[in-house]
Parts: sequence; structure tokens; C-alpha cells
Amino acid sequence: MSPSPTVPRPALRHETVLLAVVVLEWLCFHALGPRFGTLENSFDLLRHSAEIGLLALAMTPVILTGGIDLSVGSLLGLCAVLFGKLWRDAGLDPAAAAGCTLVLGALAGGLNATLIAGLRLPPLIVTLGTYSLFRGLAEAITRGADTFTNFPSAFLFLGQERWLGLPTQAWLFAAVAIAVWLLVHRTTFGRACRAQGFAPEGARYAGLPAGRQLAAVYVLSGTIAALAAVIYTARLGQARADAGTGYELLAITAVVLGGTSIFGGRGSVHGTLLGVAALAILNNGLVHARQPREVAGLLTGALLLLALAAGTGPKLWAARRARATPPPSP
Amino acid sequence: MKAWPRELSVGLALAALLAALAAFAPGFFAPQPLLSLAAREAPVLLVACGAAMVIVCRQIDISSGSQFAVVSVVAGLLAAEGWPPAAVATAALALGTALGALNGFLVAGLGLPSIVVTLATMVTWREGLRWWRQGAFVNLPDGLQWLGLGQTAGQWTLLATALALLTLLALAARHLAAGRHLYAVGSDAEAARLAGIRPGAVTFGAFTAAGALTALAALMNVIQSPQVDPKSGTGLELKAIAAVVVGGVAIAGGRGRLAGVLLGLLLLATVGPALTHLRIEAHWEKAIQGAIILLAVAAEGARRRPA
Amino acid sequence: MSAPLLELRRLTKSFGGARALRGVDFDLRAGEVHALLGENGAGKSTLIRIVTGAHRPDGGTITVDGRPAGPLDPRTAQRLGIACIYQQPALFPDLSIAENLALRLETGGPLRRLDWPARHRRATTLLARVGAPLDPRREVRDLSMPEQQLVEIACALGAGARIVIMDEPTAALTQTEQTRLHGVVRELRAQGTGVIYITHRLEEIFALADRVTVLRDGESVGTRPAAGLTEPELIRLMVGREVAQPYPPAEHPPGDAVLRVRGLGRRDAGVRDVSFDLHAGEILGLAGLVGAGRTELARILFGLTPADAGTIELRGRIVRPRSPREAVQLGFAYVPEDRRRHGVILDLPLAHNASLASHRRLFPGGWLRPAAERRLAEDFIRDLGIRCGGPFAPAGSLSGGNQQKVALARWLATGPQVLLLDEPTQGVDIGAKAEIHRLIRGLAGQGLAVLLISSDLPEVIGMSDRIGVMRGGTLTTLLPGGAAPDAVMAAALGRATEAAR
Repeated sequence: MSPSPTVPRPALRHETVLLAVVVLEWLCFHALGPRFGTLENSFDLLRHSAEIGLLALAMTPVILTGGIDLSVGSLLGLCAVLFGKLWRDAGLDPAAAAGCTLVLGALAGGLNATLIAGLRLPPLIVTLGTYSLFRGLAEAITRGADTFTNFPSAFLFLGQERWLGLPTQAWLFAAVAIAVWLLVHRTTFGRACRAQGFAPEGARYAGLPAGRQLAAVYVLSGTIAALAAVIYTARLGQARADAGTGYELLAITAVVLGGTSIFGGRGSVHGTLLGVAALAILNNGLVHARQPREVAGLLTGALLLLALAAGTGPKLWAARRARATPPPSP
Repeated sequence: MKAWPRELSVGLALAALLAALAAFAPGFFAPQPLLSLAAREAPVLLVACGAAMVIVCRQIDISSGSQFAVVSVVAGLLAAEGWPPAAVATAALALGTALGALNGFLVAGLGLPSIVVTLATMVTWREGLRWWRQGAFVNLPDGLQWLGLGQTAGQWTLLATALALLTLLALAARHLAAGRHLYAVGSDAEAARLAGIRPGAVTFGAFTAAGALTALAALMNVIQSPQVDPKSGTGLELKAIAAVVVGGVAIAGGRGRLAGVLLGLLLLATVGPALTHLRIEAHWEKAIQGAIILLAVAAEGARRRPA
Repeated sequence: MSAPLLELRRLTKSFGGARALRGVDFDLRAGEVHALLGENGAGKSTLIRIVTGAHRPDGGTITVDGRPAGPLDPRTAQRLGIACIYQQPALFPDLSIAENLALRLETGGPLRRLDWPARHRRATTLLARVGAPLDPRREVRDLSMPEQQLVEIACALGAGARIVIMDEPTAALTQTEQTRLHGVVRELRAQGTGVIYITHRLEEIFALADRVTVLRDGESVGTRPAAGLTEPELIRLMVGREVAQPYPPAEHPPGDAVLRVRGLGRRDAGVRDVSFDLHAGEILGLAGLVGAGRTELARILFGLTPADAGTIELRGRIVRPRSPREAVQLGFAYVPEDRRRHGVILDLPLAHNASLASHRRLFPGGWLRPAAERRLAEDFIRDLGIRCGGPFAPAGSLSGGNQQKVALARWLATGPQVLLLDEPTQGVDIGAKAEIHRLIRGLAGQGLAVLLISSDLPEVIGMSDRIGVMRGGTLTTLLPGGAAPDAVMAAALGRATEAAR
């Protein structure tokens, strides 16, 4: 056979381009809105991006394995409600309630994991089902109306105050980011995720614990969604069934924007972080530039398409030049 | 031949639910509420047909809810401007077709993954609409509601239209070459190419047709109320995909029937009202729908395993 | 003499930077079987893909029936009577046989109405013509590989093809099916069809072909009548050099038994009651027809489909590998048949592929050690003679033979005790094949116990210290190395020695 036409290595890495975009965004909004560049606003930015950022971090290994998790936004809502329930109705103190919530999040992720890794069902549809299920459970628990408020200030410290000069949740976010980065880029687990994303059967034939590792990815995703739920509740001071609606799409957007291939295998955690930053700065900056919030949403969609086209463009040209698909081996 | 048991099991689940209702809450079968329910779900059926075409083609479209909203609002505004209904309908269909074609172009023309493309167009249309309309409702002129037919006649018309269209599409899927091309491309795009089918064109067609069906669904929704809610169609794409999956269309493409989609939708749509009638809290609806989707995929997976 | 059916002149084609064809001439006459030969990467696949319209040539002319045909697309190619039977049938798994045939044979606009009864009638007729009485309503996914191939041939017949291309059609066929296929090919030739026949099996060429064209590095080395050719001549044409000592001899006698298999079986895999011993330093060849259960046996040993009967004893200990992971930890290594799907991960760099099965050994605690990984890859590149663009070149950028060496490297890195090789040289060019043979012999020389599954009769006879023959899911015969091909074949067929062909 002729070796498959390899994509010419792009002159610039995706992450480099994205970094330039982030810097450019920053400079633009700095020029446009006088309050944008202040320290206070930077902290605001961090606070607002922590939850989406966590979900995007958890989504990265999932997408690297070639999967997807549409249920994280709903799970955030369910976990917020469960947290509220544990604290208010079961009488646990917030720390214990948070711990229990993390366990429950892991269990919910375990449901996805069982169906996807155990029964080998397609992740898109499984998590579409749990997307509906988790949100539905949140609504059922709160009867659609119940809201949990009046959390003690010691708990709100997590979401609204600073610790060692930075917003408290930023520390947590940084810790998770470093952990996920190490996991994906420096451990055999991350390597196995990639192998699985590129060729699931190939990974099994190499003796990798494919099923177990796929399961772990979704359990991790559920746990981090639960963490995001606790932080979300602490930031807003309330927990409602509709918490985190649409967050799954923002998280996926951040990951794809960060250069992770939706087909699995290719991608990086720092790319995801840049993707999160690009989205967060866009949202926050437009507000400061006195633009309506919807413009941010609009631009998010456009940016996503652009990132995709940029990622696929060179490959497409190569394919066009080679006329059609690479020839399978004889 | 092997696909029928799957659709049969959905039918049995539906029959069981209806039997439970007949036994414990015969009030469910009161004609007028039932007709209203059916008319409300008629647009969803059309969107689900579009989603089924796209999924059979091994793609996915999660932007149909946003397309639905955009078309609804535009149709409403045109009607409010005093355009005659026929012109409104034509313009709306053209718009829906164009939105579908854009998805089709991005997926088939540029080779981008459909899940991300339609995620992007979903966000873009929804946010664009919010920016443009700032959440304002559109008041429709008198006489547009039920096309002036009166509620009952209007509802029957919608229901008949949706079912007629479903039948036509189901026949086309089986007996027109174009219909089989959808299945061929979904089953194996490379084999389709070698058989002289243009997978790109077929995929483009599927997205475009889905857009047109969504537009028609939006029109059928618009005429049911005196106002257009700019948030209409939120979550519609998931409802449609859920009906498709529960109805036994394989998410991996190439297999499934519209008859199954109809059954799937009937099952999912009956759950909500059934809860009310069986005196279970209605807040469980979404959770139960989610559970049905999971059961359906799990059943599909179990069925596939021995092969 | 009338114009040839198909004439290609100065055909060129590049993929990215790689030149796959550099000005190839080729012609096909009516009523001949024209064999197309060449190492992998010589350009055979590209050539036929241009003829079927799957690829567009960069330059050159295509003439069909003496008329210039311009660049072909699949539809035009089909209209001109060109049909191709691929090694991996290009069928629709979710659709019925009838529809598979119809999609290729029917013409007309997308809005035409379909006549299902006629589709079924036509399918039944065509299937009968290739001697395959299958129900046209069956879905193709439920058919076996040879059955699918017969559907392909039925399709070519139905298209009234006058130019039939067969790309290694016998690679997956049993001897009986192969014989039947040869019958169909001769039938086609008798009807005046031109057949382009691609194969790696030289004996098929002498059995079938009228003329032979050899491609090397994207160029035609020449077209000869098959009658005057000898096997060494053909090989020389293909590789441009003599292959000196085809099979390396054993250096040491085998040692103690490493693996004892007793009564091994698995009902749904069709394997039953397999017993044999495998010694350290020994190459045990496993011959047999396709479908005899050889790959299935390897899959059982490697834990992909665990056994439901019998015992596996590894160095005196009873083991039950229930997953590839357990098998690897026990010391099994398996180089699978489907290199591109299972053997290597094409998108991962060479080094990552090489370390993939030995994560636990190389990276204690789960932390990657890039320096160690690089060293491992560089060692293998040197020791196995892998030609590549460095340790971090994607495996997909390597040639088939070098990919196979990477697949082998992955398992050598695990320090295995038993090496299961499944068709290790299938689809590998002749030069690389000899290198892989030397490697395998070398590994056995170091004390590794090797189970070599091969459908290449000369290979399995030349390489093995003993030859096991499987038939009907069980090991029926054990022969000494260097046994007569007739004896092996007869055992595989379960007959007395009169040859199959």
C-alpha cells in the first residue's frame, strides 16, 4: 500500500494559535472597557469560569477516549439539589454534605460507566438518556420549585471569598487542572485513553484494561461534576433544579475549541484550559464593553465553527489534493 | 425482518401503558384532551422524522430546536406584518431549508463532525434570536390561529397532515431510491461511494430535508396559539432524538424505520399526561423519559450482543 | 487484432508527496486473465482504484474499447463494464443481499420507484449463477466472508462486467471456495471477459493467468506471458533481486515444554478438544484452511474469547486467561492477523505503539518515562531494522512490513514466554517478509516458544520445527518440519494424499 497521506504538520500548533486569540481578546477588551482589566474583574472571571472549567477538564479525557458526556450539566443540577437536601433536610454540615455529594456524583458517573463500558452502548445516546434522567430527578426531588438557600457563611466562603489572595474556588480549580493534566499527559492512563480513542479494538488487543479505564473516565466526569455543583452552590448561595442548564454544551465547546478531536485520540488539557479562558474572557469582556450577553453566545458558536474549520481545513486540503480517502491497505 | 421485534417491544410498552391508563385512569381517554395532546405532539413527530433521516445517515442534528425557534419567530413576524398565510408558509419553509442546508454544507461539504457543527449552529441561532428579539413574544394577527378553522378542526388537520407526511416519508424510505440511499450511506459511506452514490449529496440532503421538516413543524406549532414564544423549541432536538432512539433507529446508522419513530414518540409523549392521570407527580416526567431512553438503548445493546 | 478492452498509458498519481504511480502502461484483452503483481506499495491498489474510478489520476490516459475514457468516476466505470471485487467486500452490512446487488446494478434518478419483487428475483438468479443459494433477504452482516465475496462476484456478473478486477480474492477463502472461485474466473474468461487478477500467491498465477504484469515502485517492470515464466524469475522481477535463503534454519534443538494445552475448546468459537505441547525455542506452525479454527485458537489462548473447556498449562501452572490483559501478564503475546485494526494503532507514534503492552513494566506507578520509552523504541528500530522517520513517526506512516515489525516490537517489549503469530507476513512485501522470517527464527533461538499461524504453505513448512494441522476446529495432525506440502494439504483437507488441485 502507499502510506496514508499524512497531514502536513501545521506550521502553528492549535494551542499556540488559541493562546494568541486569548491574548488578543484580553487586549481588545482591555481597550474597550475600562473596568475589564481590574484585579477585581479578573477574580470575577475566575469565579465565573470555575464550574464550566471543571466540567471541561472532566470532559477532556472523555472525548479523548472517543466518547462524550452530555449529562454533566444535568448532573451538576442534580448534585446541587442533593447537596442542598443533604445539608438542609438530612442535617449534615456542609463539609460532610459536600463529601457525600462527591460520592453521589461518582455513583451517577458510574451509571454512565456501566452502560458505556459494561454494556458497550454508544456514549452519545447513553448520556443523552442520563441528561434527561438526572435533570428529571433534580426536578422530582425539588418538585420543580424547591430552592435551597441560607447556607452558612463558612460554606459561602468557598464560592464568594478569597483565600491567600485568590478566589477560594480558584485553588480547587487549579488543583483539579493540574491533576487532570498530569493524568492525561504524564500517566499510562492518559496514554491508554488516547489509544482507546484512536482504535478501541487495537487498545484491547494490546492488553490494555480498556473497559475499566473507560469506566474510570466517566466516573471521574461524574465526580468532577459534583465538585462543580458544590462550588456553583457556594458561589450563588442557592441550589436549584435548573442549575447548570446548558453547561454540557459550553464544556464541550471549550474542549473542542481547545483542539481536542471530537473523534478521540488527539487533544490536550492545556488546550482545554485555553478554550475555557477564551470563552470566559469573551463573555466577561463583552459585558464590560456594554454588549448584550447574547453576543457572547453568538460569538461562541462562531468561534467553535472556526476552530473546527481550522482543525479540519489542512486535513481537508490534503484529502482534496489526494482526491478522496486514503487507500485501505490491500 | 429482524427489526420488527424491536418495534414490537416499543409497541407492547405503549400498549401496557395505555392499558394501565384504561384500568386506573380512564379519564385519559377523554377525546378533547387526547386530541389536544396529539396536536401538540404532531410538530414533534415531524422533527423526529427529520432527526431519523439524519441518524439513519449516521449523523446527528442537535440544532433542530433552535431552527424551530428561529423559523417560528420569523413566521410570526411575517404574519404580523400582514403577509398572507401561504406566503408566510413558503418563506418559513425556505428559511428552514436554508438552515438545514447550512448544517448539511458544514458537515458534508467541509467534512466537519455533525455533533459539533450542529452544537455550534444550535448555540448560534438560539443566542442570535435572543439578542435580536430580547425575549419578546410575537403577537399573531387574529384568524391565523387554527388557520381560522376552529380548534377541533384545526387540531384534526394538524394531526392528519403529520400522519400523512409520516406515511409518505416511510413509503419513500422503503420504495424510493433516494430513501434507500440514506440507508446505504449510513450503513457504509465508502461502499456507497463505490456504488456510485454520492455520500456528501445524500448527507446534505438529509440535513436539508430535516431543516424543511423542522420549519413545517414550527408552522404547525405557530398556528396553535395566539403568540409566538421566542423560547419555543427548547429541548425539542433531544425529545426528537429520544423518540428516534426509542423507536429502534440505530445510532450507528443504516437501520431503523419511521413506524418505530412514531411508536417511540407516542410512548414518550404519553408518559407525561399519564403521570398526571395516574396521580404521580408530573415532575417525574423527565426522569422517566430519561429512563425509557436508557432502557431502549440497553435493550438494543442486549439484542445485538448474541450476533 | 482488435483493440484491447482496457489500455492505460503513462498513468501517474501522487498522494501528498508520495508518488504512487510514475507512468504505468497496462493493457487488458478480452478473454484473458491478466495477473498484476508487485510488492506492497508498488502501486497495484492505486492502479485498480483509478480504473474503478475511486481515485482520479494526475496524468495519463485511459482507453476503454479503443475509446479514450477520460478520468473515471465510479458510475462511469460501472457503465463502461468495469467491476471490482475487493478483498474486503465493499458491501452494506445493514442491508439485504438483494439490496446490496440492486444499489450497484440499478440505474436511474434518486426519485425513481423501486421494484422489490424484481430486486429479489434478480438477486436469486445471480446468486444461483455463482453457486451460492442464499436467501436474498438476508442481511449481509450475517454472512461469512466468502459468502460476501460471492455476493460481490454475483454483482459483477449482474453488471455484465467485461472488465473484472479481483484484488486478492482468495486471501480469506478455504481451499474448496478457492477452487470454486477459480472455476468462476475461468468461466468469465471463457465468456470473453477480461480479468485483472491481483494476488500474492504465486501458484495462483501459474494456475490461472495468461499474462503477468509486475509493478515495482510505481512503475511497470514488464508484461510477460505467464506460460514462459518461472517462480524465481517472477520473484526477481518483483523485488529486483534474488531472495537468497528463503527460510532461516533452526540453530538449536527445542528445549522443555513451556505450554501444554489439553482438550481446549470453546463452543461458540467452533474450537474443540485441542491438545498440543509447545517447547521453548520451538516454532510450531499451525496450518489449515481458513475457518479451521486457528485464529480462534489463538484468540482463546490470548483471552479474547476465553475457553469453556480444557486446560492451559504454562510452565507447569494451570492458567485461565480471561482477557488479553491477563494473558499478557501471564506471558502470552499475540500479533493479530488484522495489523491495521488490531496490530498497531496507526495514529500513535511508533514509540507509543512499542510500549503500549508493557506499561506496567516500563512505567512503574503509572508515570510515563519518556526517556525510557524513547530508548526502547530506538533499540527496536535498530534491532528489528524498522525503516521509519524516527521513534515518534506515526505508525500509519510506515509501510506494511515495518508496521508489522512495530507490532512485533510491542510484544517483545513485554518479555513474553509464548508468542502467538497470526499470519505475520500477510500483505507484507517479499523483502520485509524474509526479514520477519529471520526475526522470528532469531526469537525462537533466544528460547521463545512460537506458535505460527500461516495460510502460506511454503512459509509454514519452511519456518516450523513441527507443523500442526487444524481441521474443523480441532488439531488433527502433527507433522515434522519440512513435511511435504502435499501431506500438509491433505491433512488440512482430511483426505488421503491426492492433492486438492
